[in-house]
Amino acid sequence: MLRPDRLEADALLTDHYLDALLAARDRRADDAPVDAGLDAAVHFAARRLSDDLDRVHPSFRFEERLALRLAEAAGRLRLGLAAGAESAAVPTGPGQDDDLDPAGDGFADPDGPGPFPRPLIIGGAMASAALSIAGAAYVAWRRGRPPVSPMARAVRAAGQARLAREGAHGPRSLD
Amino acid sequence: MARPVFGRTSAAEEAGRSRVTHLDRDKALVEAARRDPAAFEPLYRRYLAQVYSYAYYELGDHHDAEDATERTFLLALTHLPRFEERARPADGEGASTFRVWLFRIARNVVANQRRTRRRRPEAPLESAAVVRDPLDVERRATERAEVAEAWAAVGRLPADRRRALVLRFVDEMSTAEIAGVLGRSEGAVRVLIHRALRSVARDLGGPRR
Repeated sequence: MLRPDRLEADALLTDHYLDALLAARDRRADDAPVDAGLDAAVHFAARRLSDDLDRVHPSFRFEERLALRLAEAAGRLRLGLAAGAESAAVPTGPGQDDDLDPAGDGFADPDGPGPFPRPLIIGGAMASAALSIAGAAYVAWRRGRPPVSPMARAVRAAGQARLAREGAHGPRSLD
Repeated sequence: MARPVFGRTSAAEEAGRSRVTHLDRDKALVEAARRDPAAFEPLYRRYLAQVYSYAYYELGDHHDAEDATERTFLLALTHLPRFEERARPADGEGASTFRVWLFRIARNVVANQRRTRRRRPEAPLESAAVVRDPLDVERRATERAEVAEAWAAVGRLPADRRRALVLRFVDEMSTAEIAGVLGRSEGAVRVLIHRALRSVARDLGGPRR
């Protein structure tokens, strides 16, 4: 296990080498000068990835189709701006809140546990509300239903007698 | 808009601060597009292949990459008034650029797409292999195999390491830009890439330290 300061120094050396390697690639040079302290494994992997990971271009048809779509959207935005609005409505895709900052962390969490956190919260609130309604219905049903066991009958009779007493004498004073 | 985190700069990083100045290159184009949305096209042409490549390496499918690219640029166009260009040399850390902002959108769009479609990246590079000499079939086949092998090694990395490598090698971003896209410090990104390269070297049977 490398010490943190050693790791950071090695990482900095790697970073400088990558800067030089990518600049060399732009010049169509084979490699960049290698510092003696550069990790041989890093050098090997960087060379391989520099050679093998290339930029991928979309099809010409797609490029032009999207250019047209953007031009149409720009036209709608321009009309909106001319009308004094800060922006105009342009459909950008399904199921997304257009008020959210698309570059913000709230728009998506790339490493998050899963989609749709808000519906889960709403679902939870709905579930708790449903439980509350079910609970109230159960209590009402239990109170209206004749008691089954002798003990339950005795408890209910005692409760009704107490209510009747309080009704006759009024509520007990706290003084 | 949340300020991208470029992280604290050490003394060593101070020397590389001048790198931030080149990130201003889009300022004139961005201001033109802000005044007139129709002027967004040069920004689109400049970054189309980069955004598409990022989406393709992340999603592993041309159609998915096209969908993500389309949404990214439409969102960028419609939300451009909210973008704040902050890449002045005096800003140092905390600097922001259009490219960083655009790739933060792409990162979010790709993440949403991956989760809604429940797809994992697979070795996607069959059609992306470089053909330096179309007549040399044997060499071409070897190159395609090497490309597939390299991508498989990258594809086996944890997501943050994979993203950092793609942004560094495919999109040729600086560490500062990647830090802005991923919302990490420059130091953390450097370590992320260093470790990722060591993992790839191990996977590809490269030399050990």
